Amino acid sequence: MSVLALSFGFGLITASVLALAAVGLSLQFGVTNYINFAYGEFLTLGAYLAWTLSHGLGLNIWLSVVLAVLGMGVLALLLNQFLLRPFTKKGVPLLFLLVVTFGLSLFLTNLMLAIWGPNFKSLDLPREVPNAFGPFLFTTSQLTIIGVAVVAMGAIHLLLTRTEIGKAMRAMSDSVDLAQVSGIDTDRITSFTWLLSGGLAGLAGIVLAINITSFQPAFGGEFLFVIFAAVILGGVGSPYGAMLGALVIGLATEMSAVLINSAYKNDVAFALLILTLLLRPQGIIRMAGKA
Amino acid sequence: MSPFVYYLTTLIVFFFIFAISTWGLNLQFGTAGILNFTYITFFAIGGYFTGVSMMGRPDALSNMRYILGLNLPFPIALLIGAVAAGLLGLLVGLVALRRLRSDYLAIVTVSVGAIVYDFVNVNTALFNGADGIAGIPYPFNDQLQLDPNTYTFFYVGLCAVITLVLGVLAFRIYNSPLGRTLRAIREDVDVASAFGKDSYRFRMVAMVVGCVYAGIAGGLLVGFISALNPGGWAAGETFLLYAALLLGGRGNNWGAVLGAFLVPVLFQEATRYLPQVPGHAELIPAIRNMIVGALLIGVLWFRPEGLLPERKAKFRNLLYKRRREVTEVE
Repeated sequence: MSVLALSFGFGLITASVLALAAVGLSLQFGVTNYINFAYGEFLTLGAYLAWTLSHGLGLNIWLSVVLAVLGMGVLALLLNQFLLRPFTKKGVPLLFLLVVTFGLSLFLTNLMLAIWGPNFKSLDLPREVPNAFGPFLFTTSQLTIIGVAVVAMGAIHLLLTRTEIGKAMRAMSDSVDLAQVSGIDTDRITSFTWLLSGGLAGLAGIVLAINITSFQPAFGGEFLFVIFAAVILGGVGSPYGAMLGALVIGLATEMSAVLINSAYKNDVAFALLILTLLLRPQGIIRMAGKA
Repeated sequence: MSPFVYYLTTLIVFFFIFAISTWGLNLQFGTAGILNFTYITFFAIGGYFTGVSMMGRPDALSNMRYILGLNLPFPIALLIGAVAAGLLGLLVGLVALRRLRSDYLAIVTVSVGAIVYDFVNVNTALFNGADGIAGIPYPFNDQLQLDPNTYTFFYVGLCAVITLVLGVLAFRIYNSPLGRTLRAIREDVDVASAFGKDSYRFRMVAMVVGCVYAGIAGGLLVGFISALNPGGWAAGETFLLYAALLLGGRGNNWGAVLGAFLVPVLFQEATRYLPQVPGHAELIPAIRNMIVGALLIGVLWFRPEGLLPERKAKFRNLLYKRRREVTEVE
């Protein structure tokens, strides 16, 4: 079995995790037009919620995952309702709004540290053996991660193209003012977007925790810039761009391990982020007014 | 010297170091509107380069590994630290300042912070990895040969002089044409550009000078505590400086000084000696950081201009002169 095929397989798994996270961030950025710097903590919180439900309360792991994803969605909705929306309604400049999300990230990291402590936790799954699929080698949970991501991406696509609410999100992403004059309830769409973004972050955090086997309060924040790399490479505010960016960053970081020390795989994501900003700052899929 | 006096002198040194840091952040965030979310990284780079420039070649007997080891006197080492921090600021600015939106710069700084932190941890040959460098010689003590107590007083004086110089410079920059232009760019890039101001170049100056301030503050810290490791410059430290600047009053250098006193010195010290919760050692620090995060958000909600608001430009003299001219004509 070739090393290349193996690392390609790992790349697909990382890309799946990244796609969930990147689409959630990108959708929210597109609709609200500011970056959420506490997004990494949303991932971590999703993993902790699933851990508490399954280990603390002894629920079935899959039920715990579903509840944790819903919980993260609702939490993101509440954070927007009671923290971020009041700030935007006040007409606070973008600069300060970003500092608010930055402060929120510090608050959430330390809240998790206070509740769950600094030790590593892991979501225990049934013991599993790798199965060979053609040239690839995947465990059941890795296949599940890829499956979850593919289904979620398909659902996002249908949501954005087939439903009223998805079309309204795209309209707001193009221009909030035009969406408003055409009768879209922008507050409602923004709330829904936060719900969706939080849920995707929670799901991404859970599959990331499964993929790297353990997590602690800082793990989502440390992953944040890899998500940024995927979002910017794909084109800020474009969900399809985020999927594409996730695929490129996922494959590039994992396959780089064939050539260089795998301790530097995050540096590959960083290098791609810098190259994108220098050479094509609008990303692969360009969205007007976002770069 | 009584322990209390020793403690007080230590606090004064920390206050000076935080004041310099907050001025640098004020130049970037308060004056130029540059969102640098990893300010502490530049502080650390300044500290490391100052440290390894003062230390001798790595000792084969100790397990410490680091670059340079130049055995240089403190002023030159501090200069190297400041230049290193400024150069990193220049590199970050080259990538990020061309974009108009502040999100991009913030994203690049967050990413640079994560990468540099990883890099310093993984590459033990650089600054001894996670263990960090230690045993940096006390600045000037080769010549002075002071006992530790007297030396602390000397160091307070040294920091006071450097703080005074950098403070005067910070106030002068704020009131200079450069400071005015930076504020104009912060308020409205398009208007400033329409007046022929190259916003990219001006913001680059603010970025680099702000990072040099961070580097000097970092150098002064390692000169005092003679050690530095990655645990000392985690992301949380940047929040502390933002909280200080926002509470004190962004865009106001006196506000920066007040904030540097209130948040990193008074608040941190007042809560430092709270008893630990048995079996949960990180609870108190975690709650402390939660308060800093909440403070950051609370200030922006209740008093976004801070305790000492930035003074709006007034042209009373100009008006007065014109009115007099009018009366004279009459």
